[in-house]
Amino acid sequence: MKVPYSWIKEFVNIDAPVEEVVKKLNETGIEAVSYTFGKKIENTTIVKILSVKKHPEKDRLFLCEVTDGVRKYQVITAAHNVFKGAKVALAKEGAKIGEIVIKPVKFGSFVSEGMFLSLEEMGVVEKAEGVFIFPEEVKEGEDPNRLLGLGEEQIIEIEITPNRGDALSVRGLSREIAAIFGLKRKEKLPVVSIAQEEVPEIKFLTDKVYRYRGIVIKGVSIKPSPFDIQLKLIKSGQNPINNVVDVTNYILLQEGQPLHAFDLDKIEGDISIRLAKKGEKITTLDGEEKELTPEDIVISDDRKAVAIAGIIGGENTKVDQNTKNILLEAAVFDHISVRKTSKRLSISTESSYRFERGVDIENLPNAQDKAVELIQKTAGGKAVGEKDIYPHPYTPKKIKLREKTTIRILGFEVKKEQAKELLNRLEIPTEVVEEGTVSEIPAFRAFDLEREIDLVEEVGRLSGLNQVSETYPKIPTQSFRKSDEFLFELRTRDFFRDNGFDETVSYTFVDEDIYTILQIPVPSIKITNYLLKTQSIIRDNLVVSLLKTLQHNLRFQNKNLKIFEISSAFFDSYEEIRLGILATGSFIEGFSYTKGDKTFSTEEKWDFLKIKGVIFSYLRSLGMQDVELKEINLPYLNPYQSAEIMIDNQSVGYFGKLHPEKAAKLKIPKDTYVGELKLRYVSRELEENPLDKEGYLFNLYKKKENPVFKELPKFPSVKRDLAFEVDESLQVDKLLKTIKNSSKYVDEVRLFDVYHMGNSKKSVAVSVDFRAEDRSLSDDEVNSIVEEVVKKLQKQFKGLKLRT
Amino acid sequence: MSLRREIESLEKEANELIKNADSIESLSSIKVKFLGKKGKLKSILKSLGKLSPEERKEIGQLANKVKEEIENLLRKKEQFFREKAIQEELKKDRVDITLPPSWIEVGSAHPVVSTLVEISQLFISMGFSVAEGPEVEKEEYNFDMLNIPKDHPARDMQDTFFLNNGMVLRTHTSPVQIRTMLKQKPPIAVIAPGRVYRKDADPTHSPMFHQIEGLLVDENITFRDLKGTLKIFLEGIFGKDIGIRFRPSYFPFTEPSAEVDISCTVCGGTGCRVCKDTGWLEILGCGMVDPNVFEAVGIDPEKYTGFAFGLGIERIAMLKYKINDIRLLFENDMRFNHQFKGIR
Repeated sequence: MKVPYSWIKEFVNIDAPVEEVVKKLNETGIEAVSYTFGKKIENTTIVKILSVKKHPEKDRLFLCEVTDGVRKYQVITAAHNVFKGAKVALAKEGAKIGEIVIKPVKFGSFVSEGMFLSLEEMGVVEKAEGVFIFPEEVKEGEDPNRLLGLGEEQIIEIEITPNRGDALSVRGLSREIAAIFGLKRKEKLPVVSIAQEEVPEIKFLTDKVYRYRGIVIKGVSIKPSPFDIQLKLIKSGQNPINNVVDVTNYILLQEGQPLHAFDLDKIEGDISIRLAKKGEKITTLDGEEKELTPEDIVISDDRKAVAIAGIIGGENTKVDQNTKNILLEAAVFDHISVRKTSKRLSISTESSYRFERGVDIENLPNAQDKAVELIQKTAGGKAVGEKDIYPHPYTPKKIKLREKTTIRILGFEVKKEQAKELLNRLEIPTEVVEEGTVSEIPAFRAFDLEREIDLVEEVGRLSGLNQVSETYPKIPTQSFRKSDEFLFELRTRDFFRDNGFDETVSYTFVDEDIYTILQIPVPSIKITNYLLKTQSIIRDNLVVSLLKTLQHNLRFQNKNLKIFEISSAFFDSYEEIRLGILATGSFIEGFSYTKGDKTFSTEEKWDFLKIKGVIFSYLRSLGMQDVELKEINLPYLNPYQSAEIMIDNQSVGYFGKLHPEKAAKLKIPKDTYVGELKLRYVSRELEENPLDKEGYLFNLYKKKENPVFKELPKFPSVKRDLAFEVDESLQVDKLLKTIKNSSKYVDEVRLFDVYHMGNSKKSVAVSVDFRAEDRSLSDDEVNSIVEEVVKKLQKQFKGLKLRT
Repeated sequence: MSLRREIESLEKEANELIKNADSIESLSSIKVKFLGKKGKLKSILKSLGKLSPEERKEIGQLANKVKEEIENLLRKKEQFFREKAIQEELKKDRVDITLPPSWIEVGSAHPVVSTLVEISQLFISMGFSVAEGPEVEKEEYNFDMLNIPKDHPARDMQDTFFLNNGMVLRTHTSPVQIRTMLKQKPPIAVIAPGRVYRKDADPTHSPMFHQIEGLLVDENITFRDLKGTLKIFLEGIFGKDIGIRFRPSYFPFTEPSAEVDISCTVCGGTGCRVCKDTGWLEILGCGMVDPNVFEAVGIDPEKYTGFAFGLGIERIAMLKYKINDIRLLFENDMRFNHQFKGIR
């Protein structure tokens, strides 16, 4: 809300500089800034337009003869709103507008001796249509700077928090400023007498209206408002329209009470306030047709809705040039209903904004009477009838503020006498009682001040929360718990970063397209009011995002990517913290090197076993011993180069090479590897214990037992290299594990060669360490152990042969 | 020529030859020539018998001395050749130490996660524990129980993404307060770092961003305690000299509420583009837990008081690394990310 400081001064005797007012407002809870209204332009004067002619040579230009009362000027303008008799501001030779200095300019064969000013050039608005027409009462030769207060008037712009609807008016803000500065507020009360000749008929057909006061004013004449009213509206950021409408806006700004003027002659029959019918239509003042529902409140006559209550009037009863008689409405409607309707119809007006935040129901007659007074003054006419329906008059709530509560919450004492003084300043009638104070909450704060704590805030903010010194609490250590989940993720992050992966953070919402390309089901959770359709699906895995990141980076020729993200994947009833990784190209870009007959390359490219290496190394770093891989069939992975990661028979994730078809469709390199590990379960239900869930690394990590120290071996081992001929389909790991478990003397088995021989056979060569705990093994003993091992293997693997 | 003269000239000759020797091989032929069984010294010594015992003794001693001397020279020269050979051998494998290293280069940290971790660890070290909640949240926890009723203008403060399952993407980390207090009785001292979402996108707003929520509930916790705690935090992140300002404000779930500004880290408080000439930067919101929130979770507001705060991580990360567009943070353009190697 923008308020000229001079308008505030009509309500409070304050002479503090505006900067001081703004500073204090900020310090006590209302965000405020101040700025100077418009820009002062030298060498300007008010002129009267004596004649307007089309430029004989140039289309769209007008030739005007004007006078400042002393001499005549010829001015050429493109503005369409000039007319004979209009009073406008003329920038004469030497006037500076921004960087441009006005001097006589020729348009065709005619000279323009100056330029008419719009509010845009005067720095009042950002974009103006046409020149600014001053009211008739302004005299030619006057200084437009002085008339408008350009470069002089101070404007205070405030932004209120939703609880402070009471400050959304000149009067309300003045009350706040008076309280902050400890000053008295003043007010000129209206003097009106309303004859009860033509009392309007008004009925309530809904309980969503709390007060409605209609006044009939007859015999008005619609014309532009007097200059001072127009000026205040302009300074407050509004456009003057006509005297009656301007008064309603003026009073809304000044009093915070929305008003509406109907053309009485367009109303058919009686007024009722009712709920709209389903599908009922109304064309609003802005010319748009709106469809209503029974949750909307309307003002209606006997035949039709004439306004959407508290939001906007109807076109059908609009005040226009020919209006003679009006019905002036002042009302208070249910704030929730107004808000719902305003939201649904996407219409936010000065009126709806105030109703949503609470309008002072007790100030309604005062505000409306001021409007009547002003209308009679500016538009003539006579108030001939009034009806005020107010079924449940406001009764102030009494709230006690205990001294001990203030100190308990704020940490400093506000004595009851002091509290009384502060609350009284806010125009909240307050008395001292034994424990503290008791306040009667006036209607203008009824929405905000409902409980003791609300008064604590009031005395707190006026005492100065910024000034009070700080204290240091005892952090209750008895409630401390080790943040294992957090540390686990940190550890994971450190591992992948230390191993060369770059950390990424991507949006949780993704595009449906990627799911289609990967041939996996689109997740069920979607944003209904998304910003972009491509950001509307809540992802259920991180790979979709990592692939997008790869695509993005390929645009900058970055073909070697190793990235990870630790974040959530989303499912119908729970979430998972996952680790996603993606690697493509080289993990060491390297270079090749030749010297004499020696040649080598330091480049290292990703392949399946290297990805497996990183993942296994990570799992090993967590102390995971028995990790197994199982074949997996995911539509976006190469079926022969992908695997499911199993620990304790629980699937904790997967990895593999991207399916070449999918890579081609995504226009990313073929050698792209992706993987995901399920780190933690995040429940949405309070009762669920994430640690109960299977298949999460964190849970396995938590349950893992510490290694137990074993005595170091006392006797040396004997090493033998053995090569086995086996079926090609036999998984090497299975063979290695079987050898390991085939005899108590086998200490360690290392693979050193795999050789595909053809005929569906392969040779697997291993180096085995044999050891006994209690003695050194002799060659003969080892030979017989080997024999025994081979026999066992042959029993288990048909066709296995020891190669010699 | 006397034997003495002979020995002396022999020594001279050997010296000369050893000095000029160019390989280990030539040294061994010198050795044979002078000290071998048929060598020059031996043949001189053979004629020793013809001498008187005194002379024999004298010449004998001289011959031995010369022998030792030659042996010594030979050894030294041999050592020289060996060392030279080793040097030459090593030189063959000389490495240009300026060649690029051949090891995995450490990955970059994300500035937002980094900042989130740094702040979390600061609070953990003060005695707070980490709490968490889901990002797809019930409206009840995200709004209602935080004293933000349906159809209240306060809901406008946070533009919400609604989901087709009747839930919302949480608009702040504050629902974790509710979840924590429903599960745990006071005293409570937790922080909740995480992602939050608002329907907003421009150079200073991202539809997804990160927050850290803090909550301390116990007997006798006051607004001044809140000030102290935040002072420790802000000075820990921005340094001891940072200016801190508390402005009363409004949040439905705290009362009294305040917004906290720090002196502009760009201009130091004199006014610049970043702080819009105010000298101050809004950094977090905080306040005393509203009794309605306590009542919603079944904590007695007459017995307990508490404070809560919530801060946006992106803002802090952007100030810290002078990043001017929030959208860069989530594009994952490696030209951006790689600038953040070596931060924690």
